[in-house]
Amino acid sequence: MTTPPPPPKPLSSQEWETLIEDYNHGRLHRWTTYDYAGPPLVDLALSSILRKDFSLHLKQRLLIFLEEHSISLFTSPASLLRLLETLRLVIQSPNPNDAVSLSFSFKEQFLISTTSIFIVHGTFATADFETLEGLVELLLTIVNRPNHGIDRQTRAVACECLRELELAFPCLLSEIAAHIWGLCQSERTHAAQSYVLLLAAVIHSIVVYDKAPNVSILNASTPLFPFNVPRIFFENDKDGDDSDDIVGDDDEKNVSSASSNLKETNVRYKELRRVISFLLEWPQYLTCGGVLEFMRMTMPVANALELQASLLKVQFSGLIYTFDPLLCHAYLGMYLRLLDSFDGQEMEIANRLVLQSKELYLSYQNNVVFQLLSVHWLLGLIQLVIGRDVTKRKSFADVMSLSFYPAIFDPLALKSLKLDLAAYCSVLLDDFGTLKRYANGGTMTVEVGSEVSVVKLLEDGLMCVSGFKWLPPWSTETAVAFRTFHKFLVGTSSHSDLNESDSSSKRSPMELPIFCAIQGMLIESTLKFQGLVPLIVSFVDRLLGCYKHRWLGEWLLETFNESFIPKLNIDYKLGSYFPILERISANERVSPTGLLELLANYMVVLIKKHGPDTGLKSWCQGSKILGICRTMMIHHHSSSLFLGLSRLLAFACLYFPDLEVRDHARTYLRMLVCIPGKKLRDLLNIGEQLPGISPSTNSSSFFNLQSPRYHDPKKSRNISSYIHLERTVPLLVRQSWSLSLPVLRLDDDKQSLESFKDNKTTGEPKELDRSSSSIEIVSDINRISQLQEPLRVMDSKVSEMVGILRKHFASIPDFRHFPGLKIKIPCVLSFDSELFNHSVGTSIPSDSCGIDSLPAIYATVLKFSSSAPYGNIPSYHIPFLLGQPVKKDYSFSETNSLDIVPVGNGSAEDKRFKAHVMIELEPREPQPGVINVHIQTNADNSEIIQGQLHSIKVGIEDMFLKAIVPEDVPTEAVPNYCLDLFNALWEACGTSSSTGRETFVLKGGKGVAAISGTQSVKLLEVPFMSLIQAVQRCLAPFVVSVTGEPLINIVKGGEIIREVVWKDSDSDSLSEAPNPDARLDGGPLYIQYMDDENEKGPHLQISKRDMGCFLILIFLPPRFHLLFKMEVCDVSTLVRVRTDHWPCLAYVDELLEALFIE
Amino acid sequence: MAGGCSIRAIWILSSQDAVVYSRRFPVVERRWRLACDKESQSAGATDSLKVVPYLPTDSELAAAFIDRKKREGSVRGFGIRTSHSVKGSDSWVDDPITRHIISLNIDKEEQGESHFIWPVILHVKGPFYLLALPLVEPHHLKTYARMCNRSDCGNTIGEDENLSSLLLDLPSITGAFMVVHTIGDIVTGDITEPEVVASASPSVGGLLDSLTGSIGISGRAKPVATPIAASATSSTSVSGTLASDAPKIGSRSLDKDALQSFISSAMPFGTPMDLSYSNISAMKMNGFSSVDVPSADSKQPAWKPYLYRGKQRILFTIHETVHVAMYDRDEIPDSITASGQVNCRAELEGLPDVSFPLTGLGSAHVELLSFHPCAQVPEHGGDKHAVTFSPPLGNFLLMRYQVSDGIRPPVKGFYQLSMVSENEGAFLFKLRLMEGYKTPLSLEFCTVTMLFPRRMVVSCDGTPSIGTVFSTERSVEWRIITSGRGVSGKSIEATFSGTLKFVPWQTKKPPSSGSVFGSIDDEDSDFETDSPNNIVNVEDFLAEKMSKDLQAVDLEEPFCWQAYSYAKVSIFPAVKAPVELSAQVTSGEYILWNTLGKCPVAATRKA
Repeated sequence: MTTPPPPPKPLSSQEWETLIEDYNHGRLHRWTTYDYAGPPLVDLALSSILRKDFSLHLKQRLLIFLEEHSISLFTSPASLLRLLETLRLVIQSPNPNDAVSLSFSFKEQFLISTTSIFIVHGTFATADFETLEGLVELLLTIVNRPNHGIDRQTRAVACECLRELELAFPCLLSEIAAHIWGLCQSERTHAAQSYVLLLAAVIHSIVVYDKAPNVSILNASTPLFPFNVPRIFFENDKDGDDSDDIVGDDDEKNVSSASSNLKETNVRYKELRRVISFLLEWPQYLTCGGVLEFMRMTMPVANALELQASLLKVQFSGLIYTFDPLLCHAYLGMYLRLLDSFDGQEMEIANRLVLQSKELYLSYQNNVVFQLLSVHWLLGLIQLVIGRDVTKRKSFADVMSLSFYPAIFDPLALKSLKLDLAAYCSVLLDDFGTLKRYANGGTMTVEVGSEVSVVKLLEDGLMCVSGFKWLPPWSTETAVAFRTFHKFLVGTSSHSDLNESDSSSKRSPMELPIFCAIQGMLIESTLKFQGLVPLIVSFVDRLLGCYKHRWLGEWLLETFNESFIPKLNIDYKLGSYFPILERISANERVSPTGLLELLANYMVVLIKKHGPDTGLKSWCQGSKILGICRTMMIHHHSSSLFLGLSRLLAFACLYFPDLEVRDHARTYLRMLVCIPGKKLRDLLNIGEQLPGISPSTNSSSFFNLQSPRYHDPKKSRNISSYIHLERTVPLLVRQSWSLSLPVLRLDDDKQSLESFKDNKTTGEPKELDRSSSSIEIVSDINRISQLQEPLRVMDSKVSEMVGILRKHFASIPDFRHFPGLKIKIPCVLSFDSELFNHSVGTSIPSDSCGIDSLPAIYATVLKFSSSAPYGNIPSYHIPFLLGQPVKKDYSFSETNSLDIVPVGNGSAEDKRFKAHVMIELEPREPQPGVINVHIQTNADNSEIIQGQLHSIKVGIEDMFLKAIVPEDVPTEAVPNYCLDLFNALWEACGTSSSTGRETFVLKGGKGVAAISGTQSVKLLEVPFMSLIQAVQRCLAPFVVSVTGEPLINIVKGGEIIREVVWKDSDSDSLSEAPNPDARLDGGPLYIQYMDDENEKGPHLQISKRDMGCFLILIFLPPRFHLLFKMEVCDVSTLVRVRTDHWPCLAYVDELLEALFIE
Repeated sequence: MAGGCSIRAIWILSSQDAVVYSRRFPVVERRWRLACDKESQSAGATDSLKVVPYLPTDSELAAAFIDRKKREGSVRGFGIRTSHSVKGSDSWVDDPITRHIISLNIDKEEQGESHFIWPVILHVKGPFYLLALPLVEPHHLKTYARMCNRSDCGNTIGEDENLSSLLLDLPSITGAFMVVHTIGDIVTGDITEPEVVASASPSVGGLLDSLTGSIGISGRAKPVATPIAASATSSTSVSGTLASDAPKIGSRSLDKDALQSFISSAMPFGTPMDLSYSNISAMKMNGFSSVDVPSADSKQPAWKPYLYRGKQRILFTIHETVHVAMYDRDEIPDSITASGQVNCRAELEGLPDVSFPLTGLGSAHVELLSFHPCAQVPEHGGDKHAVTFSPPLGNFLLMRYQVSDGIRPPVKGFYQLSMVSENEGAFLFKLRLMEGYKTPLSLEFCTVTMLFPRRMVVSCDGTPSIGTVFSTERSVEWRIITSGRGVSGKSIEATFSGTLKFVPWQTKKPPSSGSVFGSIDDEDSDFETDSPNNIVNVEDFLAEKMSKDLQAVDLEEPFCWQAYSYAKVSIFPAVKAPVELSAQVTSGEYILWNTLGKCPVAATRKA
């Protein structure tokens, strides 16, 4: 065995103070490490207590310290023994003369602390009950000197100690009850209270706990000394049962068994009755706390002895008339115990409590809390009584309703509790009415009197906080008033009553006058005082947030919608009502029509009133209106508000003075129109708050909005595998190549790309510019055409032709100064739901069906770029697009990359899965190319997806435009104009062009162009029918003339080529150009053509059966032309091609092959 | 512990939220522990909330208290549910009494667990916060915990679990309030005995003449007329200022030893037995000597440890306070309430019974009568004609009464204040004093104060028909009758009209903290501000402007005083030559509401 550690050093008084402080604060660490803990510390403390140099105050503090921390300190039985020995020593020491009272109080404290420590540690598991016996004996010694004068207070304290021991270990003193009674009877000082209470405690345990030894209470059978712990404690302990301590609520149970036992032992019953009648003489001599303890002890006994309640009533009825709250409460406690025997007195008690709560500033220490308590007691009491006997409702209600008007100088807390009572009365009155209703066989004969008084109750009650209407919304009056509204409104429908929830919703609130009254009050005062708005809003929110009373909140909103909105004045003050309107708009059950109308009218007012000073206001109010619109879109079905809302938004887009508001309105309008309902709501819900748009009470949510997340770039790589952008009309020629013209690119001067130049010197458009630079540029282009013919004198025919050409070129816009000619490539954007979900990771609930289950992308931006000279390609925006459904078998979605998709294909539903995209090019050069497509879009989960899609190919046929017809040409003359133009151009592009040196002023007069023609031929060995079909299919718009009767006959019937010049071949008088039909048997042109072609073979097999000729004029932006003259025979067709842009011939060849041969 | 009152612990916190004194009662704590053990045995695993026998250390308690203060907006909390209330907190329960009976969440740092303790009785006194934790049963605690964690819209009345039933069931809470109030008085040194003074002629009389009509004393004692020094009545302070629950500065240090010994005597084991400080301190001071013989033939009450020896006499003083709200408007009746108390000092030998006559109570419409515990009240209350009591030592409050019908106000009239411009107002008083009162009733002191807690007075022009005028920054005081020039036997008329100039109004931002309910500041700052010419009345404009930065008042105030314009009447008696019976009337809230302004009203009971 190791030697025990040396005892800790004694502490000075200062150190003790610190130690106690640290122990109380839980800062044990610094002491326990030095062993100032457990039994050694107890020893140290006890020895300090015996020291003479310590003040009695400190010693008392040490005792309390030991008491408070006894659980951690007294860990060994030896410490208890030591404590008891020290106590004996102190008690027996004489009092020093100088501090008699102090030393008395020190001794008293020692008794108390020791008892307390013994109680806390007292289990009878160990053999230390001997120490307990020692303590009890010591206490009994002190007690056993009744009427001894000087130490009467000490004796009282010792009694208290014994009583606590008895309470902690019931029946500990029951064997010596007779002695205690004897002491009680003889004690006449004020200490008698303690003796009486001790006796009461002993009797209480004898009656209540079964285990009391059967000894007489009147005659002492056992001597007082030596004291022995009764045997029953040891018996109990064998079970290891700690039930020696029985807490209060067991009383009732024990009492019932006890009373039956008592009856059997008749002698004992009589004894007990005698004791109790002795005790019942005492209450008036007891202090307030004493009375409470006394009643706690004697009530169960009286109950068990079946004493008449009237006996108790006589003794205690005065308590309710005292102004001591504790005594009143004690009386109420008795009342509650004996409800049956006090039957009929509840009104008296209730009245008494009413009066107590009315005590003005004289109430107990001027503190409102006791007034509040008495109101609470009253409420509790009424509930209890009514719970037992429903018939008392009416009498309570009538009395209470009149007595509970709050007084003007009542503190607000009291006012609010009194209003609670008023609300309770209203419930009682209402229920009474209901009862009556049922009594009359279910007919609705409501007792008018009571119903009216319910409303009056509310009105009168609220008068005391009438300031709530105009005081600032945060004032306490408003808080109290709205609390009362809530109580009245919610009324009887208690939250705990779950099955009532459906029935209450069935009952229309308008049936009840109280609802009408509240509604009226709220609406009226809100109209008058805007300060109430936030209160109303939070009131409604409170109801809406409740599972039980949601219907009330909704009802309130409905009534506001019906009765409040029409009464609102449409002026700037309307803005302060927006929080309410916001709530109304957020409620699905309320039709938004009225609100929309109001907002629209307000919008008009805002626009009308807008002026230089109201800019900020207009912005603010406008944004708020949009905020409400947004809320509506979130909460309502689009269909219900589409009409009104779209009108409102459109109006705002058009006329609202503030740019931002217009912008937002447009966004919302766009969303409303484009995005289907549920998606729209989900989308708007993502960011509950938009800055500056929707001020709502919860401003923090804006900051909680997740910042846009960028899609994982790795995932973006395969973005083109599930998002597809395809041409609506596939290209005829599938290969992609484009001729690059290095010559043109070499020149840094951008202007050299085009064969234009600015006509700087003159503003006269008709005047020809012959500056050197112009010639150089022109020659750049024209050097391919080898022929540099000298200027010729223009004959009339030429000048007519030049005139036509001038007119034509003058209508071609110069893209350097004007918006250029645009070509449009229709495309379709779509994406694959399954792959999209897989890739983006949005999880769509599997159980949802229909389009709601499909993913969507939002605010898609397609950006285009190209290396081809297509100018600046504007990006394309798609607000919303649904993914293509997976399971359904859409044939085009599987094979769409190859097949031609007719535009009109698919049902209406399909359109939701496809967005039409129009790529607009402004070509600088008519050449095929590739357009790169970049997509940026947002997924449902607000993830940003971006990446490159498959490129879009642009073919030469995309460049085909119809010739521009000047505005002054009448519609009926257009075909002839086109034919004339064709002829002129045909001539100009011919090798022997007489216009080679001519330049033509473009529209706007700044640029000029020259024509340098090239020609070519192509033999197409296809049957005439397929050729005609191909022409009709692809080139129909560009046909300017058809000649030859057979051809005309076929084509005219097709009705596809219309409004062209039809010319019979017989009457052909095209002298300016050789008619191929006429010269098929050979001619200079034919030969030349053969030379160019270098392929004589196929031609030779051509049947000579001419059918006619197509003249086709194609305009190639920015200012070029492509002319076909198709000489159709039955098995083959010769196409003569002329153009003023020679590079295009390369593509034309392939095009023709793709068009006709395949 | 059905029906009993025991306290597990008491803490006293300083205004800096540090525990300056704490006391735990292990015996009570042991009961709580046993109850918890039993509860956990019977409750089984299904119960989500577990009660654990646990008492926080001083530091943990202070931390929890600070935490609650932060959460609930102020020391006492919101009291009723506001938008700031959170589930699980006291204000969620939505009852004003939760400002006084609070719950605390103790976070134990090391174990990482949180303990919920309730009911903690909170009493704010002087610079101290007094907290007491009475013993309840575990199921009470659980009920309350459920109540403040319910997710619904607030307690309704018919609820199965409600605070009222709990409080009715728990006298320990009531007892704990008594304890903390007494301790609060001790630590702040506010222990005062009820005042007993006497005057030669009743000033303003007892409004309730019948009470003072005649006094007969039965028993063995004879009244003895001996002068006693009466302290001057403390002047009624202006209650128009904003009451804050922040303790006032200038605290005296706590006398821990005095407190310690009081607690040891009053509630040795945590169960309060006797809260009478005067008795306990007398016993501490004097002890008992052999001279203190118990009376031979009768029991000595516990509340009277000493018996009086010496000259015998008995003194009564009736203090009455009138609360008046005068509107001078047709639609609002004036409200007058007189609350009275009869204080007594019986220096009588032995244990005599004294009978105090209550003649004519029936005709005087006495609404409320309540008595000292020493009075033997007949079974059916105070409808008897006398009350018999056995007087305790020293001064005590024998009974209280309240009357609101059929009394004439000693000062009657009206007050009008009309703002002629934003910073200038014209006012008019027309008062009649002592109308209908006859000699020997006299009015010794009467001033009328116009209070402007929210505006600074620059100057006040005007001469009253009687009396003098003193103006301060925030008030104008019209001293109609000052001491020594009492009015008796005649009614006088007093008028006072003039003009007031104020310092121009400046809007100040209401501090966001400090107000009980917090200002709702997230609302639009562009709250429609109209220019003054939009509003017809300058007064309305001003009122609207000024009400914007009004702060919320405590729930303990009757209404927001600052929102109204009014004048307050003060009357109180001068020091009088003592006789055995005196009666005096002081003014409580004696308010003349500005006839031209807003005024708070309450409906009156229509019997």
